[in-house]
Amino acid sequence: MHELVEFAVEKALELGAKYAEARFEEHSGVNIVMKNGNPEGLGIRADRGIGVRVLVNGGMGFASTNVLTKESVSEVVKKAVKLAKAASKVRNRPIEFSEERFHEVYYEVRMKKDFRDYSGEEKMEYLKLIEEEVLNSGVNVPMRFLSYQDWIAHKYFVNNEGAKVESVIPRVSITYNLVVFEEGQVEQAPFVKTSFTGGLELIEKAEPWKRALNDVKALQRLIKEGKKPPEGKVDVVISPEVAGIAVHESVGHPYEADRIFGREAAQAGESFVKPDMLGKRIGSEVVTVIEDPTIPNSWGFYLYDDEGVKARPRYLIKDGIITEFLMNREYAYYLGTHSNAAARAINYDREPIVRMANTYLAPGDYSFDELIEDVKLGVYMVSFNEWNIDDRRYQQRYIGREAYLIENGEIKHPVRRPILEITTKGLWSSVDAVGKEVEFYPGTCGKGEPGQGVPVWMGGASARLRDVVLRR
Amino acid sequence: MFDINELILKKAKEIGFGDVVVLSYETQRRQVRFANNEITVAKNWHYQKSVIFAEYEKRLVSTELTALDEKTIEETLKMLFKTAKAMEPKKDYYGIAEGPFEYRDIPETFDKKIVELDEPNEYVEIAINSALEEGAKRVAGVLYTDYNKLYLTTSNNVEAFDEGTGIEISVRAFVDDVASGHGTNSVRVLKKFDPESAGRKAGEIAKLAVNPEEGDAGKYDVIFDPLAFANLLSYMSFMASAFAVEAGFSFLVGKLGQKVASEDIVLKDVGNMPNAYGTRKFDDEGVPTQETTIIENGVLKTYLLNTSLARKYNTKTTANAGLTMPRAWNIYLEAGDYSKEELFSEVKKGIYITNVWYTRFQNYVAGDFSTIPRDGAFLIENGEIVKPVRNIRVSDNFQRILESIVALGKELYHIHWWEVRTPVFTPYVLIKDVGITKATK
Repeated sequence: MHELVEFAVEKALELGAKYAEARFEEHSGVNIVMKNGNPEGLGIRADRGIGVRVLVNGGMGFASTNVLTKESVSEVVKKAVKLAKAASKVRNRPIEFSEERFHEVYYEVRMKKDFRDYSGEEKMEYLKLIEEEVLNSGVNVPMRFLSYQDWIAHKYFVNNEGAKVESVIPRVSITYNLVVFEEGQVEQAPFVKTSFTGGLELIEKAEPWKRALNDVKALQRLIKEGKKPPEGKVDVVISPEVAGIAVHESVGHPYEADRIFGREAAQAGESFVKPDMLGKRIGSEVVTVIEDPTIPNSWGFYLYDDEGVKARPRYLIKDGIITEFLMNREYAYYLGTHSNAAARAINYDREPIVRMANTYLAPGDYSFDELIEDVKLGVYMVSFNEWNIDDRRYQQRYIGREAYLIENGEIKHPVRRPILEITTKGLWSSVDAVGKEVEFYPGTCGKGEPGQGVPVWMGGASARLRDVVLRR
Repeated sequence: MFDINELILKKAKEIGFGDVVVLSYETQRRQVRFANNEITVAKNWHYQKSVIFAEYEKRLVSTELTALDEKTIEETLKMLFKTAKAMEPKKDYYGIAEGPFEYRDIPETFDKKIVELDEPNEYVEIAINSALEEGAKRVAGVLYTDYNKLYLTTSNNVEAFDEGTGIEISVRAFVDDVASGHGTNSVRVLKKFDPESAGRKAGEIAKLAVNPEEGDAGKYDVIFDPLAFANLLSYMSFMASAFAVEAGFSFLVGKLGQKVASEDIVLKDVGNMPNAYGTRKFDDEGVPTQETTIIENGVLKTYLLNTSLARKYNTKTTANAGLTMPRAWNIYLEAGDYSKEELFSEVKKGIYITNVWYTRFQNYVAGDFSTIPRDGAFLIENGEIVKPVRNIRVSDNFQRILESIVALGKELYHIHWWEVRTPVFTPYVLIKDVGITKATK
């Protein structure tokens, strides 16, 4: 396999490529689905292939195959070169890449409890634990969709500039959708994930079955005791989970350089952020947002990106000031700087594009009690269901699933569906205090065409927003 | 690849599996992406793989094979069998379809000219130039050509082959940062391909959308462009699936036989429609695809089913397998009798929304959702477009939207792009009293 990857790069240079990279990926793992107590089936994932990306005459070509013979790979290289040449004729300026230092390196994430050593039935036990907790909770939960997923991604990346990066990364994840019917009303906790890079020990420590129990009890309480949230200008305290989706949508995405320069215009859209906004204020002084692929066991973990560049933490916002964009080599070149290793591809058959990994609101120095103690009237938003944001990443909305009234510094009854619909600048300018404790929540970030759902963590500390308009 | 299918089937039966389905693919797909009036990347994918679904006493396992030698096949099947034997049964599994079936050729699903097309970049240039001619400054988008071969073999006497092609383009044009428009064109045969129409539409809307004003929250009569309404209808592919209904991902839970849309509404899934991007001769268990009426005169008639789910509910399959999860092929909303002009003249004060994205649900079972207009959105007064508006959101309930359809255009449009993954056929649609919200700080 190593030879085939290296052969692809050499072959591309022979055919006239100025730049060439080849990436082998093999993904092997297991999916298990359980619906309303029935095992729906077990899927075994065994997927592998090679993708080749080249620059020829300033045009970019990419081709992939899952037929791993020398002939087939040779064919793929020819196609990539031909596509790049043809593409170069419909360009105003040639594509260039930033200069980078490359490494020959191997890294892997070790599992304490290696999921390859456990049978499908043993993995099914985790889903059964969720079933048990939920069915014995005293809450009516007639619809239960549960899934378990693990896979190991084995990659080998080579380019013509000296990079040889091999990695073995295991990922494990549990997802549930739980629908609560009580008193003729329905509430649900959809697509709730617990996910890590690493082995089964991480799932066992996180105990998603306890989270499921909390979720259905909170939804039952919401139905039985929930009242309308206050309306109009109030204070809102957002949990790490809500802060996480907010930094992902309104900080991570608009700072992706390919959006800023319009490459994703016809799909995920562009950005309200422009290159000259580096150094400008976007939030209050207590707001710092960090993007860090290197957090151990994180869902978005990697040490080298899919262009072979070494990863590091990136400060997107520091003390309220825009400090760094997410970049791959192409856009780092346009910005006259180096890549900060944000190029990711979900598999051998996708081009690497600018992506997030683990995005979080950096902690401040408030305890949770201090965050709420002088709130006269407000809402504490613990989790959310519906959310969305416009394609320039400026107008967003988050609707609380589990949320509570705050009155005179105390948490009171649950409130139903508080709606925070706010601009990006409005949101981050309203933060006057940030909590001490950091938590992360997994998600699958969608971008690219064809789609590339990548594993990411989102999270950070709780935050207090002053005088924001809440709707119901 | 039937020899490989048969080898897999034979070995699987020898090992002791009951129902076995082998679906093999050979795929050649090409993409040209463009932005800022230039090509950003051109791609080619080649896949050859066999998807195996196998059952042992109601225990279901599946996998995808990419290495197709005898040794890998044998080892994989043995491992699958060992896994299946250790599992608990799926109590509500009722088997796969009994063949053989007869398949008819579906017109306009294969065109050798697309297979032989060497270089599609001229179509990209046509689309870019037509948008620029309409007044756009920057044009982005994507073009695909597709060539798929499908080989299906099952343990219930099915051997089926289908071969299909397609070519499609999606174009987004910008006059400036906040004035944009979008157009698409998707076809299965080259002579019907019209990249110019996609570029022109994108350019025209972008031009109209210059200097938008902030929109206001409230209830509005809304005309959804086919591109925008297709986004909403594409969720019906999943929500109409019996699997999604059981799993709590659908507002159609418990509503069979009930009114879920306004009286004029007829919504179908058409798996065998000529020149439609989702069309196939047969579903994943070999049942010939068909036309299925999901909603008739506003009443929910059926969920989308495979054989096992159909037997569970004592009815017939709708030929939508997915062995685990049935799904739609082409969602089809029957046209009405309004011309576009007549539709606009029905609106005293309303909004014309040309495109939406990021549709998300607060509650799938209740159907509460919001979606965000992108590209031109326009205030309508007395049937006329008076100005472009921006920064608004559609916040409503899915069933209420279907129940509040008051007029349908007479022409259908075929929509399939990044935001609309299941192809949708829809006319322009007028809906009463749609909830519009906006950010307040």
